[in-house]
Amino acid sequence: MTTMYDKLVDLMVSRFDVDRAEIKPGITFEDLEMDSLFLVELLVVIQTDLGVKISEDTASPRDTIERAAELIEEQVASAATSS
Amino acid sequence: MTPPAIAVTGLGLVTPAGIGVDTTWRGLLAGVSTARTDPTLAGLPVDISCTVPDFQPAKHVGRRSRLIHDRFVQLAIVAAREAVADAGLDPSTWDGARVGCVIGCGLGGVSTWEQQHKALLSTGPDSVSALLIPMLVPNMIAGHLAMEFGATGPNFVTATACASGTTAIGCALQLLRDGTCDIVLTGGGEAGVSPLIVTGFAQMGALSRRLDEPAAASRPFDVRRDGFVIGEGSGILVLERETDARARGARVRAKLAGYGASADAHHMTAPDPDGVGVRKALRAALAMADVAPGDVDHVNAHGTSTPLNDAAEANVLHELFDGDTTVTSTKGVVGHALGAAGAIEAAVTVLTVESDTVPPTANLDSQDPAIDIDIVAKSPRSQRIDVAVSNSFGFGGQNAVLVFTVA
Repeated sequence: MTTMYDKLVDLMVSRFDVDRAEIKPGITFEDLEMDSLFLVELLVVIQTDLGVKISEDTASPRDTIERAAELIEEQVASAATSS
Repeated sequence: MTPPAIAVTGLGLVTPAGIGVDTTWRGLLAGVSTARTDPTLAGLPVDISCTVPDFQPAKHVGRRSRLIHDRFVQLAIVAAREAVADAGLDPSTWDGARVGCVIGCGLGGVSTWEQQHKALLSTGPDSVSALLIPMLVPNMIAGHLAMEFGATGPNFVTATACASGTTAIGCALQLLRDGTCDIVLTGGGEAGVSPLIVTGFAQMGALSRRLDEPAAASRPFDVRRDGFVIGEGSGILVLERETDARARGARVRAKLAGYGASADAHHMTAPDPDGVGVRKALRAALAMADVAPGDVDHVNAHGTSTPLNDAAEANVLHELFDGDTTVTSTKGVVGHALGAAGAIEAAVTVLTVESDTVPPTANLDSQDPAIDIDIVAKSPRSQRIDVAVSNSFGFGGQNAVLVFTVA
């Protein structure tokens, strides 16, 4: 099963031209030169993919990819409960 | 007090004739049109264009460029880098507060706009890119150049349709004359070859319908001309006061001696057949340059290849200049780059003055008998050029004229 983390990493590589080799545990979006605008764009892409509304302030550039994946999963779970 | 002379110290070009000043100049001297059938326009009423060959954003601009820059910005970044390097300037050491960027752009990020509108209609607002606005607004072309070079002086975009690049260069001239800036990066960038924009121009009847013979479609001043071929590209000039340029030992490629502007106040798209506005802009530019019409050796015409423009422009040129003034239109080879056209042609005019060589007007097989001016056709012409004029006229009746003189 593909985890949210894997999904994020794949999107960052395929859609945001991030070098997969640069992505290591603990690395933040900021470390990968992804500013707040890029992060909002990443969330736009994810919500289109998942069909679930993800708030645009879900994560910040100082978050790690792992943390962003957790925060997105929380929103997906809460969307599933409320529907 | 005599206003300071303004020097052109750097040039950059990205055009359908190639990436770079030398490649473009060679293409212009060869005089062969770059227009061809464009698969991205398949099924539309007009499916021919002149586009920059082999332009690869990741290679020519940088990683992630495709994510943050519309094509009109990409083309300008590449041209500006060439121009700054050509001027021998090092942006890491200059006083950025004294460096301005004034760039012409008629449309902005129209391809981004069209793609995102499609996304809105097909998958809803949640799929619209967060980067839509920063990619489409036309002023971003000057904003990105500021970021690229650390240029924190005056920074803006001019929009006078097909005269935008020329207007920008005229505004840059003023910023140097009045001492606001020490260096100005100026010119234009445009990437308007998109399905909606091309269809819009086609519906107006402005585009050539010579679809079976694209390479013969753009034929300024020819008797069988029937409209323009849309193009794209960027031309960037580095301007400085001549005294500053000489003091740092820079090569002065030509001088920008005059700028004149006017409005026809006649019709949304048709030129005033009497050319009152064009004449006014020409006279104003010549007056600023302190030259008489008889001193003008060469004119790089607006020369779009539309029946109305070329006739009206030629009438004014015939009346104002003597028979020794040669005329060419760059649009025969590279098509009409709209808001970037005047900037590309200004750079070409500098090269023409510098080399005493006039590039030919492509496809001028049979000059319109109603047009009585000396148009250079078929092959380049060697000629001494001390004073040259570059004309641009925009829909909306906006006229802008530059005068370049030999260094």
